[in-house]
Amino acid sequence: MTQTDNPSGGAASEGAAAVTPLLAPRWAAALSGLAYKHLRTAEGTDTLEVERGDLRAVLAALKNGAGFAMCTFVTAVDHYPRTPRFAVSHQLLSLEHNDRLRVRCWLRADDAHLPTCSDLWPGANWSERECFDMFGIVFDGHPDLRRLMMPPGYDHHPLRKEFPHVGIEPDRLYRQWDRKRRESWSEKQ
Amino acid sequence: MSTGLTRQVFEYSPGSPPELDADDPLHGELLALNMGPQHPATHGVLRLAVTLDGERIVDVDPDVGYLHRGKEKSCESLGWHKFFPHTDRLDYVQPLMNNIGYALALEKLGGIEIPERAKVVRVLLMELSRIMAHLIYIGTLGIDLGAVTIFFYSFRQREELYSIIDAYTGHRMNNTYVRIGGVYADVDEKVAAMIDKFLAGFPAALDEIDAMLTRNRIWYDRNRGIGVISKDDAVAMSLTGPSLRASGVDWDLRRKQPYSGYESYDFEVPVGSVGDCYDRYLVRMQEMREAAKIARQALERLKTTKGDVLIEDRRFVLPPKGLVHSSMEELIFQFKVVTDMRFPRGEAYHGIESSKGELGFFVASDGSAKPLRCHIRAPGLMNIQALPMLAKGRLFSDMVSLIGSMDFVMGEVDR
Amino acid sequence: MGSIERGTNDGRALPASLRAVSEGPLATDASGSGFFATKADWLVNWGRKNSLWPMPLGLSCCGIELMAMIGPKFDLARFGAEAARFTPRQCDLLVVAGTLTWKMATAARTIYDQMPDPKWVIAMGVCSSSGGMYDSYAVVQGIDSIMPVDVYVPGCPPRPDAVIDAILKLQKKIERETPVARLFGGGPAMRDERGTGQLHYQPNHGLGKGRLDKHPHDPKSRMNLGDPNPRKTEIQ
Repeated sequence: MTQTDNPSGGAASEGAAAVTPLLAPRWAAALSGLAYKHLRTAEGTDTLEVERGDLRAVLAALKNGAGFAMCTFVTAVDHYPRTPRFAVSHQLLSLEHNDRLRVRCWLRADDAHLPTCSDLWPGANWSERECFDMFGIVFDGHPDLRRLMMPPGYDHHPLRKEFPHVGIEPDRLYRQWDRKRRESWSEKQ
Repeated sequence: MSTGLTRQVFEYSPGSPPELDADDPLHGELLALNMGPQHPATHGVLRLAVTLDGERIVDVDPDVGYLHRGKEKSCESLGWHKFFPHTDRLDYVQPLMNNIGYALALEKLGGIEIPERAKVVRVLLMELSRIMAHLIYIGTLGIDLGAVTIFFYSFRQREELYSIIDAYTGHRMNNTYVRIGGVYADVDEKVAAMIDKFLAGFPAALDEIDAMLTRNRIWYDRNRGIGVISKDDAVAMSLTGPSLRASGVDWDLRRKQPYSGYESYDFEVPVGSVGDCYDRYLVRMQEMREAAKIARQALERLKTTKGDVLIEDRRFVLPPKGLVHSSMEELIFQFKVVTDMRFPRGEAYHGIESSKGELGFFVASDGSAKPLRCHIRAPGLMNIQALPMLAKGRLFSDMVSLIGSMDFVMGEVDR
Repeated sequence: MGSIERGTNDGRALPASLRAVSEGPLATDASGSGFFATKADWLVNWGRKNSLWPMPLGLSCCGIELMAMIGPKFDLARFGAEAARFTPRQCDLLVVAGTLTWKMATAARTIYDQMPDPKWVIAMGVCSSSGGMYDSYAVVQGIDSIMPVDVYVPGCPPRPDAVIDAILKLQKKIERETPVARLFGGGPAMRDERGTGQLHYQPNHGLGKGRLDKHPHDPKSRMNLGDPNPRKTEIQ
């Protein structure tokens, strides 16, 4: 397999992909009937790779059937210039069973949207907003998908790889504001 | 092993705000009030767009990002090694703790084992950092609620800790003293003696603060019953750390998913029962006592644990400066570590129990010298996210207690 | 920096009593500052420098050190500057402590504008002095691109003693000012005399086009702007 057609991240993922592990993990029962790929990464956290269409069902099953009560974070990794480009990771935590699980979903750059999980875990709301702000990935059905960190009128998504670290016109919004402020003075005088 | 907290028993004013008065002339007309980004009670540059009905909060819309400095982007363009100083400035009241969180994530990614003594030193530093962070919480919340004395008492203790950290690392804050594979230098006898002296006096100092606050009627009334969050809600809102434990969930990563040898220390995890601001206060006070206990154990262990505090792996660790000046090979190693440090392809996540909750670093490498991604899971962001839920229906003056008791630091929230 | 011509300095008429003094024999000599004005200057400066009212704009890490500075060990009260007021309208010393981002810059500039004259600014820490370690898309590369600065304090964060030193330096600077002589039309006017917020000051004056325009890593950062140098038209 070349890197381009299997860009599945994890160091130990090659070869381990699509192989059912010997010991069925405790959440396997909850996911019966759903399509997913179980990868075991070098660091020890189980990772599921799912298609975008199945993501919602897998997440709901994990929450309701496997006790993953907390969503630790939702974030993306930009694998530019590979295709597909973005790997969105949902990291889940079960307080009851004391284990973690990562659910990964690959997205193409021209089609970067996926269903929200903020109704399952209200705590994922801002994580998704941040992901949208930084990568421009749209979460369908999100109740309040605004920018989180950057100001509302900002044009770019800073964590995309093509965005330069020093920014593109970082002072644009400030200068706009400043111009308006000065105009209002000259009206007063 | 968790311990419940004794809540004081008082005859007190009702914990919920007074009922709405239909004849209240202020009632009915909504007022949009902007709080921040420069406001002494918001602990940094948080902006809250509050909608008020009379004195009652109808809605809160927190606006973060006023301190967004692009840390995650910085990591991608600087490289793994040069990002260390940036981690200090995340939660800047506990710089060493952030260093350790980042180092642990990278050690997991690279499969690096660190010496036993380094683990002990790290535990010592983490617990001192926890005390530093909680002292800031007590001091600032005290100022906000009108107890200015507490600020001076807690800062006196903090200054002692500063002197210790200063003697150990050479700077009061933002030390960058932790490295991949250990810590930069050993805790010497002078510093150990200073820590010993501090730990001997700290419980008494804490008792003083305790005597001024815990049974103080004003303190009690302004914290009790405010911002109550239930177990399930706290978990659903991804709260961690003292905010979660105050709601009665016995969840501490030091105990549940131990790192740096925490499983071998003897300490208790304080757990609240109600989940209000007062419980969060009690949990943090008790945590400071436990942190002092762990630090004392680590200090004892330093006497018996011998060995290095840094691994000798030239792929990840800078060679000693003396060798760099005399050996060409070591100079090349130094150059390689700073500019060309590589980790195997893959992803790793490590969460530590920081003073605010689960501070996690999610690092991804594609095998090259440029980091693919470093996501910082900030507990403070989740704490702010829960603010609207806690504030709705309360009086506006409760907002100050709430902000103080959720205990976030904007450097970490905005990154 | 523009200076205001003598006698026309701010369009405000002097009170009659003061005008009598200002036109009297003691008022001015050829250089514009006479015996009366000099003594009065000394008195006013003495008052101003020993009771600075800081407005602590604690943005990030430096804010913690600023708190430590007010705290028991360093005790800023010894220098008469401990009365921190969190509203800009009561303060005359703005301490910008920490990293200023572009999102926060509008608020910081508003705070500066709201402070009454005379006012001074201390840039505490490398972030506010020059952007420091954050050479990134979100951080202002030195607050002097949005407001004038009197004293820069290096350090990340500076130790409280360094900031106290900055306050002492600022006190020396205040000693050299000539508020009364300026009232009578003598001496330079570098501050916002008319209260309009329009300074006789140009951001990045010393750098010509301004630091951001010639950022070494980002030569095309202004390619999309209609006007290649908008500041020419913005600042009168």
